[in-house]
Amino acid sequence: MGEASFLDRIRRAIIDGNIDGAREIAKEAINAGVSALKLVNAMSSGMVEVGKLLESRVYFVAEVLVSAEAMSQALEVLKPYLAVEESKRYHGKIILGTVAGDIHDIGKGIVATLLQTAGFEVIDLGVDVPAEMFIEKVREIKPDILGLSSLLTTSLPEIKKIIEGLKTAGLRDKVKVIVGGAAVTKDFAEEAGVDVYCLDAVEGVEICKKYVEGIK
Amino acid sequence: MSEEVSEWMSPRKRFLSAVLGGRVDRPAAGSATSVATIEQMEQTGCFFPEAHYIPEKIAGLASAAYEIIGFDCIMPYFSVWLDAAALGCQVNWGDKYRMPDGVSREGLGITDPNQFRIPEDFLYKPTTSALLEAIEILRGRYPNVAIVGKVMGPWTLCLHILGVKRTLIWSKIRKDLLKEWIKLLKEVSIEFAKAQVKAGADVICWPDHATGDLVSAETYREFLLEVHREAVRRVGAPLILHICGNTVDRLPYICETGFDCFHFDSKCGDPLKVRIIAGDRISLMGNINNPQTLLYGKPEDVMKEAKHALEAGVNIVGPECAIPTRVTNENLKAIVKMAKRFKGKS
Repeated sequence: MGEASFLDRIRRAIIDGNIDGAREIAKEAINAGVSALKLVNAMSSGMVEVGKLLESRVYFVAEVLVSAEAMSQALEVLKPYLAVEESKRYHGKIILGTVAGDIHDIGKGIVATLLQTAGFEVIDLGVDVPAEMFIEKVREIKPDILGLSSLLTTSLPEIKKIIEGLKTAGLRDKVKVIVGGAAVTKDFAEEAGVDVYCLDAVEGVEICKKYVEGIK
Repeated sequence: MSEEVSEWMSPRKRFLSAVLGGRVDRPAAGSATSVATIEQMEQTGCFFPEAHYIPEKIAGLASAAYEIIGFDCIMPYFSVWLDAAALGCQVNWGDKYRMPDGVSREGLGITDPNQFRIPEDFLYKPTTSALLEAIEILRGRYPNVAIVGKVMGPWTLCLHILGVKRTLIWSKIRKDLLKEWIKLLKEVSIEFAKAQVKAGADVICWPDHATGDLVSAETYREFLLEVHREAVRRVGAPLILHICGNTVDRLPYICETGFDCFHFDSKCGDPLKVRIIAGDRISLMGNINNPQTLLYGKPEDVMKEAKHALEAGVNIVGPECAIPTRVTNENLKAIVKMAKRFKGKS
């Protein structure tokens, strides 16, 4: 079976929320010599499709969580191979969290795994994190990057609240703020005053790497 | 001539009649979810978090809905955690400004329903007994005001006990196991509801958050429709179903449950659309928007939205869900003002 076929199958397994299937395809693909990073990209593309299905109310959060679980389990299989592929280690520190009012850890979990694999120290504050906690942790831990995730449009005002809170606390210029998640758009990110909007997990990791390279 | 409609019903009679879809002197105003605010806490001297678990404080704060705001009902269960706490969930009770929340996202950390026993003294646990005592206090003090009890339905209890993520994932891939949990936990909801009726509650609000933000209408049908029908048969008092978010797609199923009233959210859109789908099969309560209209709007904005809801055929006008504690009394009173003035569709 060729690489394209594996990539297509794993993407499909993510869209369908096929947890066992995604894990098995990941194993088979690795054995067949397919790049782990390419498999992650294919799965991310599947998650983008899942986000679209959520938006059109074909899928609900329950379906999205099953897809995320499929991706998470496949990632467990791929993790050791990602580490091997990743020759360069990055030593940045990043705080991640899903903003208050939102219980989704899908995208954030993926980003966290990829960042850890790349050598980042990841402090995952979890889901439904109040703005005050993000600010308190930025003050305490002094991370290079603060990563915010939001899947629900109703939680978007929280992102603005966090930015304002960082400004008030005098911390805004001490940390790079990146956002991602199904609810976030580039326009919103700009309007809210965040530094970078990430289209997907893989792009998010690349942005973090470039940022840390720039400041070290 | 007075702008207000002449009243000949007590608040209790008006509220109950509205819940059951009967005649009223003027539309009822009230809510089946929390209307507690910081302003009311300061006026009554009953503050969160004590007002979640100390009977006199619960009753004191709850009575503000009638005494200060002028609603036709009093509802003394402000959070969503009393039943879950009595089942063993660790709860952070918050403070004056913040509602309680579960300590763990994983719930109780057990997955096998055979490993879980409903405590025999469930009704005597600190949180459940405090609510029952508060209902008794309120019944004694307010014979002419409707007292609304509240129990979390089994779906919401699953969200607490199993965790949100696990419950939702199981609704897709471990359906039989989740159904077992729901079957087990519905007994908690029904028995707690019966105890509240015995303590003096006129009506029971039954929140079961199978919302359109989380699951499909078919998931509601598959997991909850029959359970809700059973609750209607067994509780022995009028029941108000509360589900947040957009529920328009599952409203036809909700109308099949036999619940007397549905407390719905502004995310459903125009209340007229909701009334058209519901027809005369269920009474409606709600659906004034919380985060914009009640929290940041002016009294005239609230009155406008209340009027629109009443014109659409909403039986009990009030907030869409538990209100943010920073909402002003003035905005809540505007709901009552409109209910008192409403003389039918203009």
